[in-house]
This record gives sequence, structure tokens and C-alpha cells, in this order.
Amino acid sequence: MLTADEAGVVLFTLEVAALTTLLLLPPGLASAFALARYRGPGKSALETLLSLPLILPPTAVGLALLEAFSRGSALGGWLAGRGIEVVFTWKAVVLATAVMSFPLLVRSARTAFEEIDPRLVGLARTLGCSPAATFFRVTLPLAWRGVLAGTVLAFARALGEFGATVMVAGNIPGRTRTLALAIFHDSQVGRDDRAAVLAGVTAVLAFAALWTTEWLSRRLERRAEE
Amino acid sequence: MIELSFELPLATAELRVEAELPVAVTAVMGPSGAGKTSLLEAIAGLRRKARGRIACHDVVFLDSARHLRLAPERRRVGYVPQDAGLFPHLTALGNVRFGARAGTRQAETAIETLEIGPLLARYPASLSGGEKQRVALARALATAPRMLLLDEPLAALDVELKERVLPYLMRIRDEWKVPILYVTHNVGEALALAGHVLFLRAGRVEAQGAPLDLLSSPGLSAEAEAGIENLLRGRVAAHDPAGGITRIELDGKLALSVPLAESRPAGSAVTVAIRAEDVLVSTAPVKGLSARNVYEARVEGLERTGVDVTLRCAITGSGRPWLVRVTPAAVEALGLAVGTTVWLAVKSHSVRIV
Repeated sequence: MLTADEAGVVLFTLEVAALTTLLLLPPGLASAFALARYRGPGKSALETLLSLPLILPPTAVGLALLEAFSRGSALGGWLAGRGIEVVFTWKAVVLATAVMSFPLLVRSARTAFEEIDPRLVGLARTLGCSPAATFFRVTLPLAWRGVLAGTVLAFARALGEFGATVMVAGNIPGRTRTLALAIFHDSQVGRDDRAAVLAGVTAVLAFAALWTTEWLSRRLERRAEE
Repeated sequence: MIELSFELPLATAELRVEAELPVAVTAVMGPSGAGKTSLLEAIAGLRRKARGRIACHDVVFLDSARHLRLAPERRRVGYVPQDAGLFPHLTALGNVRFGARAGTRQAETAIETLEIGPLLARYPASLSGGEKQRVALARALATAPRMLLLDEPLAALDVELKERVLPYLMRIRDEWKVPILYVTHNVGEALALAGHVLFLRAGRVEAQGAPLDLLSSPGLSAEAEAGIENLLRGRVAAHDPAGGITRIELDGKLALSVPLAESRPAGSAVTVAIRAEDVLVSTAPVKGLSARNVYEARVEGLERTGVDVTLRCAITGSGRPWLVRVTPAAVEALGLAVGTTVWLAVKSHSVRIV
């Protein structure tokens, strides 16, 4: 069915998507929460800025990342000085997918946080919860639907990201080649049958991720209704 | 002693409260928008803009002069908002245990007091309004609060449910020895529960004092939902099942007939309410009228309240004047003025035991 190389690509893609999602959750939820609570000036400008990767061509985002992390730049040079190479390594793949997935998680979680009755949060405080305890005992459980949806969207986006990845990580077999890049490569060199197989694998993975979420969400829902 | 001396900007006005509340139940009353809920939230620590001083016993919640503001989680107040504010993702038990600082023992006692044992496994969505209020009260009590803040706990309930939840509140007052601030529009509730009334209007404390004194003054109770009521204390004298009435002896030896209420034993103290508009006024002695309660009185004052006129009538041989609401047309037709002798008539069914 799959060749050893192709199996490696599938595994690598899953690893990247999982790692990206895990890394994204703390800053993503923190940003979403801060945006939901923030009422000051520049709120909509800030929100637009955060959503920018959704509307920009992914290659433009990739180009910006490439500029920022290449050895010639301040940040890239600083990292290189500490022995950290990002560009054209697996780290660049995670970086690119993370930047592209971030707005999806934040948008979804932010809406969920905004829908929570602020009085419940205040009540938790009067019942003895610190702000942090309130977040984990009230805010997060009440927003779980939106947070879960955002997490799955971010994971699915990470599975299929192409444009930003190819710019900043290249398409190096065995090093930075994900499923999306492998499909493109197979198609370019005329192996349409293999491209189709990999496309099928991607579809199955995405379906599995969404279906699991749906199932999980229904189970939690049923428990809450009992 | 609860010490309140603070300011808080509101949407339309500013809340400015200066009050020292005795440690018992205080009813907070006043028209909508007077700042009643804001007062509770400021005490609970949920209004960061409050400036001044708030203290409960010797625990200082807020002292702006000393840059001191205790976080809400350290004030230990049990706040129950109007809609109960239960956490929808937790069962009734999960809600009660949510803040149970004092350990499960306190939670168990709260569950017993409010008799919510059978409800514990259920989620708030499946509880009725009265059940939600009881769970929320238990949740507040389980934290061993220094003070309870109740925001119209009975307002969302229908009359029947109200009468089922009210005894629980009385039980909390009598058994838990916790100071309570209780927002209500209902004169009967205030009278049944409170020993002190704080009347707010447009962010200011307009009056405070003992409920009977305060709630009988026309200007204040005109704002209360129930309208002006005469609240009279007395004692059950006798029941007359054949006649369908219970006789009550009011202060000043005035006898009053009310519909048969055998659940109140003879000799027990009661408070009765008579709405000011339910009192008939006659300038001649009344004969051949079905009303059981007729008293001779003297008009001591007339006051315009809204479109109506409120009369203050001193009943011969009785202490507290009655408030009687009539139309300006009636005042003119009967020639009512200060000093006029009148006869006041009240049907038995217009008298309510509260």
C-alpha cells in the first residue's frame, strides 16, 4: 500500500500537526482569553492583525517567516549564534504550520470565551477561586465546545498546510516533506497514482480527526444533560 | 456590625452609601435602578471602581485611604444573584461543593438545611426556579460565609414557590447566625425576614430603620411593588370556623376580623397587611355594610402620592395611623381635610396575614 518513505511522510506529518497543536494551545488560549476580556482601544485592529494569516497568501506568510528566521536577519542570526537552525528544518515546518493555525484556534476560542456570562466568573471568585483557578474550573469548562472546535481546526490546518511550509522549510525528502508537499511533488514528477493515494490518506486523517471530535463532543454533551 | 461608606460610579448616577448595619437581616429596597444590585456587588468585591470603606465585623474589605482592597475570593461572602447563577457544567452537588472551603461537613449541613439531597445528581438545566435558588443558597452557605448577599432570591418565583422557599430563608437567618443583606421589592418579605431596612433611591440612602416604621411611610412604600400597605402587629385572639373568620387583636386593643386562618394558633403574634387602596372611607357612621372591620378615625394628614391622595388617619384608641389611598375626586366629594372625622371600613378578605 504505502512505501516506507510514504509511511515516513505520514508519520512526520502527524507528528508535526500534533506538536504544533500542543505548542499552540497555551499561547492560543491565552491570546483568545485576553482578546475576549480586553475592551480598550484598538481591539478590532488587534483582532484583524491576528487573523491576517487567514487571508494573506500562505506563501506571503512563508516569505515573511523566511526573512525573519534566515541567518541574515537579527532574529535568525541570534538563534544561529546559539546553534539553533530553523529555516529548512523540521522546526520551520512546525513554525509555518503554527503561524497558519494560530488564528483558527484563537478566533474559535475567543468567541467561546466571549459567550460566557461574566457574572459566573465573578461568582466563582466570591466562592473562593483565584483568577487562575476560575479560568480552569469555570471559564475553560464552559468554553470547551469552542476551544475543542478551534483545536481540531488548528490540527486539521496543520495537517494540510502547504504554502508557508514550502517557503520556509522547503520540500526536503526525509526532512521537511509533509503530506501536502509529497502530493505536490508526486504530481510534479508524474506519479499521479501515488499522489492520489497520499491525497486519500490525508482525507482519511482529516475525517478521523473531525469525527473523533464530533463523537467526543456528543459524549460530553450527553453527560451534561443527564 | 457591617460598615458601608463608599462611592461607586453607575451608568446613570453614582452610588453613595453611608450606613452601619446591625448584624442581622437587612432588607435593601428601592425603585429599579437605585443601585441595589451594585451595592451587593461592591460588597462582594465585584466592582473594582468602588472607593471608600467597607468592613464586616473587624474584617476590612475595602479601605481606599489605605490602598486596601481584599480580593473577592478572600472576602468570604455568599453572593446569590437573582437568577441563582449556578454553574451549568456542574451538578447540584458540584455547585454546592464548588466553594466548600470549610470542608464537606459544612456542605452537608447546608444540603440538609435546604433539603436538596434528592436534587444533588441533577444539572441546573433540569432544576425548577425554586430548586435552583435553594441550591445556590446551599452553595453560598457551604463556604461558611461572613455575610450573605441575596439579590431578590424570591423575585423570579411564583407565589406558591415563594412561600415554599421563604421558610428556608427564615431557617438560615435563625440557625446560621450569618448577617444577611437581602434585596427585595416585596414589603411582606422584608417584614417577614428583616430587622432593618435600607431604602435606596437614585444611588443614595434615602432612609433606613426598622421595617414597620419605614415601610408605612407613604413616600417610600409607594415605590415598592406592592404599593402602600398598612402593616400592623397583633395577636390571634380566637378562631370562628362557623363564621369563617379569625379574630385578631391589634396593638391598642383594636379587634380585626380576617378570613379563617387556623394554621396560626390562638395567642401567636402575627403581622397583617392592608393595602391603602382597600380601605373605604365614609364621613358618616357605617351601617348595613358587609365589611367586618369598621373603625372611627380622624384625618391627620393628606399627601399627594402620584395621581392619588394618601390620607393619614388616626384610629380612636389605636396607636399607629393608617394610610388610606383615595382619589382627589373622593377628597373633594367628601370634603376631607385635616381634622375630619371618618369611618374606615375594611373587608375581611382585604386583610392578609404576612
